[in-house]
Amino acid sequence: MSGLPDPIEAGLARGWKVLGGLHGALPSELACDVVIVGSGAGAGITAELLAKAGLSIVIVEEGPLKSSKDFKQREADAYPTLYQENAARKTSDKAVHILQGRCVGGSTTVNWTSSFRTPAPTLAWWRERYGLSTYEEAALSPWFLQAEQRLSVAPWLTPPNENNDILRRGALQMGITAPAILRNVKGCWNLGSCGMGCPTNAKQSMLVTTLPAALDRGATLLVQTRALKLEWQGSRASAVLCHAVGVDGAPTSGALTRLKARHVVVAGGAINSPAFLLRSEVPDPHGLLGARTFLHPTVLSSATFKQAVHGWDGAPQTIYSDHFLGVHAIDGPMGYKLEAPPLHPVIFSTTAAGYGVEMTEKLRAFPQTHALIALLRDGFHAQSPGGRVRLQSDGSPTLDYPLNDHVMDGARRAFWSMAELQFAAGAETVMIGHDHAPTMTAWRETQAMINRLPMKPLLTKVVSAHVMGGCGMAARAADGVVQPDGRHWQLDNVSVHDGSIFPTSIGANPQLSIYGIVNRLAASLVTQLGGQPASLV
Amino acid sequence: MGGAVGLAVAGAGVAVLMPRAWDGARLSVGARDMMRALALAVLEDRLPSEPIARRAKLDDFLTRLESALASFPRPTQGEVNQLLTLLLTAPGRWALAGLRTPWAQAGIEDVQAGLNAMRHASLGLRVQAYHALRDLTHGAYYAEASTWADMGYPGPRPLA
Repeated sequence: MSGLPDPIEAGLARGWKVLGGLHGALPSELACDVVIVGSGAGAGITAELLAKAGLSIVIVEEGPLKSSKDFKQREADAYPTLYQENAARKTSDKAVHILQGRCVGGSTTVNWTSSFRTPAPTLAWWRERYGLSTYEEAALSPWFLQAEQRLSVAPWLTPPNENNDILRRGALQMGITAPAILRNVKGCWNLGSCGMGCPTNAKQSMLVTTLPAALDRGATLLVQTRALKLEWQGSRASAVLCHAVGVDGAPTSGALTRLKARHVVVAGGAINSPAFLLRSEVPDPHGLLGARTFLHPTVLSSATFKQAVHGWDGAPQTIYSDHFLGVHAIDGPMGYKLEAPPLHPVIFSTTAAGYGVEMTEKLRAFPQTHALIALLRDGFHAQSPGGRVRLQSDGSPTLDYPLNDHVMDGARRAFWSMAELQFAAGAETVMIGHDHAPTMTAWRETQAMINRLPMKPLLTKVVSAHVMGGCGMAARAADGVVQPDGRHWQLDNVSVHDGSIFPTSIGANPQLSIYGIVNRLAASLVTQLGGQPASLV
Repeated sequence: MGGAVGLAVAGAGVAVLMPRAWDGARLSVGARDMMRALALAVLEDRLPSEPIARRAKLDDFLTRLESALASFPRPTQGEVNQLLTLLLTAPGRWALAGLRTPWAQAGIEDVQAGLNAMRHASLGLRVQAYHALRDLTHGAYYAEASTWADMGYPGPRPLA
C-alpha cells in the first residue's frame, strides 16, 4: 500500500507479545498484575498508564488485530472484520441499528474522530443526581488536556466538505450556531474513510497510540480472545476465563485460558462489559447491572442538492450544532445534537427507505445527496430510563431498548429541525429517515407531513454509534454498579473503565469523555496498585 | 453487512420440521431460489436487463450473501435460518408475505406485492421480516464494487 508505514507490523517485528488468531495459540494460563478486558477507548488509556507505571498487564480483545495495510476503505472488508456482529448489531426488537467496533482499538479504530469534552450540563446532572461530586469541569480539565495532547485532539483547519458545509450554511440561515468539531488526527489526508479504519494512521485511535505504547513496555495482547467470565469469591476476583474465537466471533476451540491477576479492569464497552459481568454472576444487590444503557438514539434526514455533495469524500464530521440541546431543560423534552455523517454505498442503501424503482431514484442522486443526523440525548428524564442488557441462551448479549413516546417525540422534533435546516441550505428534496415518508420539496409541506407520520419503531429509522451505561457509577452503592473511582461496588479488585460507567448518555460523541475520565480513573488505580507515577504526556 | 436481520419467529414450529434454509455456510437450493426471486424484486432495474448478465450478477450476489450471512454471530444466523425456513413453507410464505405462489414461480410483481404487504403490516414481526430481507439484499449487493459506477460512487480514493 504505497509504502506507508504500518506501526503494527513494525511493532510485531520488534517482538510485541501478541497471541491469539494468527499470532499463536493461547496458553492455558497467564499471570499478571492487571487483566484489561477490551482494547477500546477506556482499555487503551488504562493500558498505557499501567504499563508506564511498571505493572504487568494482559489485554484481552475478542476482535482481530488489523492495521493500516488491511484498511482498504471498503465497507465489504471493514464491517465483517472491524465491527460487532458484522455492523448489524440490533436492539432485541430490531428497531435500533447499533454500530460498535470489534477489533484491536475497539470503536476508536472505526469512529469518525469527533472529539468533545463531557458537556458541563451533563457533569452537573451527574453531581446532582448521582453524587459524583468530583466530576467538575475544573477538576477534570487537566485529565482531558492530557488526553487531548496525547491523542492530538485539535481544531481541524481544512475547510469542511460540502456535506458538512451544508450544515454550516443551513444553520447560518436559521440563525443558530454551528461550530467546528475538534478531531483526533495527525496529518489527516482528508479521505473520508475513517469508519473503515484509517489507512494512513492519521487517526490517533488506541490502535496506533496507547496500545503500541503499552506493548512496547512489555504488555501482552491476546486477540480473537473472548473473555467469558470472572472467577471471584467473596469480594475478590482472582482470574478471567477466556477462549479463542475466529474473526467471525465463533469459538475455535473448547480450551480455556485462565488469566490470573491482582486486579481486573473491565473495558469491553457498553453492552459487552455488563454482559461479561452478567455472565460472571457478580453480586448485583440492587439489580442495576445492564440497566440504564443509553444509545443517543439517532434519526436521520437526507436531502438532494443541485450541486455535487459527494458525502463520502473528506473528513466525515467537522461541523455540529448543539442549538437543539439547549431549547428545553436537560430533563425536559429530549434535546438533540446535529451532525453530518459520511455516506457510503452499503450504509446509504440500507438506511434509505424503499426498494426497487423507488430506491433507484435515490441511488441515482447519491452524488448530490447530503445527510444530517440528530443524536437524541437520553437518560435525563423519568421517561428516558434507557435500555437493559440481558444474556441470550449462548451467553451473548442483547439489548432491550424500548423506543417509547418520549424518545419518539424527540425524533419528530429532530425531523422538523433537520428538514428545515436542509431546505434553508437550498435542498431540492428532503427525505426524512422514516419508511413511510415521501420525498418532499418544500419546508411547510414537510412539516405538515412529519406531523402526520406515525412515529413508531421500525418505521422510524433509528441508529446508534454511541452505547453508554449499563455499569453506571454513583456515590452510593444503591445507585450504581461502580464507585466514582471506577471500582466495582461489591468486588474490591474489579474496575470498569469504559463508557458503560456513564450514568446517563453524554450528549456528545463520547470518545473524549472516555479518554479524559478514564485517564483519571487509571491514574488513581496506578496509585492503589503501588505502581510508579505515570501520565499520558 | 448492514443487514437488519433477525426474527424471533414465534410459533415457527412448522419450520423446525423443514430442511434448514441456511446451514451456517450455504443456502439450501430452495432458499437460493427464494433469495434470487427477492433480489429480482428488490433490485429491479438495478440489475442488467440482458438475461445471461443478469443471471451472472444474481449468482455473484448469492455468493456474497452467503459470505455475509456466515460472518454474522451464531444467534443472528439462527434467526436468519428461522425466517428463511419459515418463508420456504407454504403457510409461512402466506402468513408473512401473503404470497400464494412458490418463490421460484412468483413474478417480480407478486414478490413486490409480498414485500409491500410486510412493509405496511401492523404486525411488527412482518415489518421486521421486510427490513431483514431488504437490508440483506441491499447490503450484499451494494458492497460489490461493480455496482458503484451506476450510483456515481467512484470508490476509495487511491493512496498513491
